[in-house]
Amino acid sequence: MDGDAVVLSDVWKRFRNVVALRGISFRVRRSEIFGLVGPNGAGKTTTLRIISTLVKHDNGFVEVLGHRLPEGKSEVRRRISYLPEDAGLYHRLTGWENLLYFAMIYTEDVQEARKVAEFGATLTGLCRRDLGRRASEYSKGMARRVAIARTLMVKPDLVILDEPTSGLDVFSAYAIRGIIKNFVKKEGMTAIISSHNMLEVQSLCDRVALVNRGKIVAIGTPKELITRMKASDLEEAFIRMVGDSYE
Amino acid sequence: MSKLYPIVWKETKDMFRDLRTLSIIAVLPLLIMPLMGLSSIYLQRFQYGVAVVVDNDRASATIGNATFTSSDIANALARRLSLNGFTVYREESVKDFDVEVVIPRGFINNLTSLTSQALIKVVKRVGSSKAEVAISLVNAVASDLVRKVANAKVMLLASLANISVKTESVIYPVVLSIGLVGPYGGATTPEEDIRARISRLISFSLIFVTTPSIAFITDSIIGEKERKTFEALLSTPVPRYSVVLGKVLSSSLVGLVAGLSDATGLLLFFAIPSVIYGVNLLGYLTPSIVATHASAVYISVLASLAMIMPIIIRTGSYRASQAASLSIIGVSSIVFFISLYVDLPNLLPLVKYILYVIPYTHAVIMIRNAVMGLAVNSIIHGLIALAESSGLLLLSVKLFNDERIIYSKT
Repeated sequence: MDGDAVVLSDVWKRFRNVVALRGISFRVRRSEIFGLVGPNGAGKTTTLRIISTLVKHDNGFVEVLGHRLPEGKSEVRRRISYLPEDAGLYHRLTGWENLLYFAMIYTEDVQEARKVAEFGATLTGLCRRDLGRRASEYSKGMARRVAIARTLMVKPDLVILDEPTSGLDVFSAYAIRGIIKNFVKKEGMTAIISSHNMLEVQSLCDRVALVNRGKIVAIGTPKELITRMKASDLEEAFIRMVGDSYE
Repeated sequence: MSKLYPIVWKETKDMFRDLRTLSIIAVLPLLIMPLMGLSSIYLQRFQYGVAVVVDNDRASATIGNATFTSSDIANALARRLSLNGFTVYREESVKDFDVEVVIPRGFINNLTSLTSQALIKVVKRVGSSKAEVAISLVNAVASDLVRKVANAKVMLLASLANISVKTESVIYPVVLSIGLVGPYGGATTPEEDIRARISRLISFSLIFVTTPSIAFITDSIIGEKERKTFEALLSTPVPRYSVVLGKVLSSSLVGLVAGLSDATGLLLFFAIPSVIYGVNLLGYLTPSIVATHASAVYISVLASLAMIMPIIIRTGSYRASQAASLSIIGVSSIVFFISLYVDLPNLLPLVKYILYVIPYTHAVIMIRNAVMGLAVNSIIHGLIALAESSGLLLLSVKLFNDERIIYSKT
């Protein structure tokens, strides 16, 4: 277990009458980009929220960066950074202030926070003038760049991205994928990315877990999964694997 | 860096940049309340009022040296009504009136008799606010007449009996002598009494301070959840007490601005008419009273936030928060309204201790004690209100549940 950043074993989660997770198990190695792939309602977001310490699992074993959850959530929160699906910015703050706010939360003094935010500003790829504008004036793509930079700039040991390019146009999605791929790999971070865009996951992730109806249906490298299912790409592999069980 | 600082930094920036809302909340009461005060006076003056004054007696008589004529009395009534904006008709045929005043036949005879009472007939239109004004004017003229007639009769009887009489000792055989005593038993001045009355008014002005802060804190938490920024924040190392306290402190600052504006607006509402009528209420506000008022406003704002916070935290819903905020505003209205008429510390113990559970009660008593010069008691009640609010904030931290907030329906 020492080499694994995240370990989930037989994890169950129920919301009233809905069973969201049915015994999910997987491991994420350190410095790996791991993808969670599946349709809407498969249980990806619930899994990420459990790893992000926001939701308590009902049964099973969850360990993040060597700390068992939920007991070790305070330690885990210091070392992870989570970008929820459709996470917005604070509209009355500028892009720069959005970065500075999160930098202040993760650091011990304002000077250090400014350095972190400066680094975040370079990650966004936005110019000073744009960063000085209020987030309410941003396009969806610009806002997403700032949100991604806000998540990555603190250089967490584990970065968790839920649908990072959801709803973005081709150019914005390409730019976001570029930031993730270059920065996460370069810094040697561990990342978990959820998506229902199979091609995105195929291009970004070292290994992928296919999730359907609260269960992991397959885990492996994109290449392994494609070969195993004799498919042309990950999308086709997933369809073949899930077959008629998808509703 | 304390994790409280970033939360307060962001929240205050966010709130104070919402200039449109802020200006509506802060500036409008300062304009509207005095305007209401002014309009309530002037509109009443401009309100059309019709009075009919009829002299059916057309007689005169004397008592001793004094002569009383029904036409003089009718004229005095008509003049008083006319000076106060009434259109006065002198014929009984006019039926569309607010008030009709009739001096009936035999009035002067009865007025000057030693065995009868004279009657002035007044008919008022149901639901007419001007009729109430007219009746008070007629009463004033009648009181003047009563004093003159009584004086004449007493002097006549005294001369007949050949005794020395002082009119006032016959008309007003009992006079109340009202002295004033301070809270510690020492003598005090009428100004102090006026100040004590003003303290009730100041307490009542707190009635408006609760609403804006509650709106801000609700938006601060549920709005953040709706805009999908809360989830990212909750996954950071920021402690939950920092989230609760940071949002409460920053909302309380905005609430303080709005609350002071509301309270000042209400004081202007009362003060402007008083100035017009020659009683400068604002002149009685000493710096210490103003400071206590500001503290009470802040404590009330904080109390409102502390009361609504556990509900927002628990439900994460706009609807539930709105319903709860209405209840809180209801409770605050009851406390601040009864403070106009009731001495809260002198209530029956059961009622008093129930009210003491509500932080607003202590804000009211705090003002009252400060005005009465009981500084220590004032501070004690301020501290009790703060302690109660702190307890509720602690409860909010205990109730904070990430999962519940994330999955609750807004």
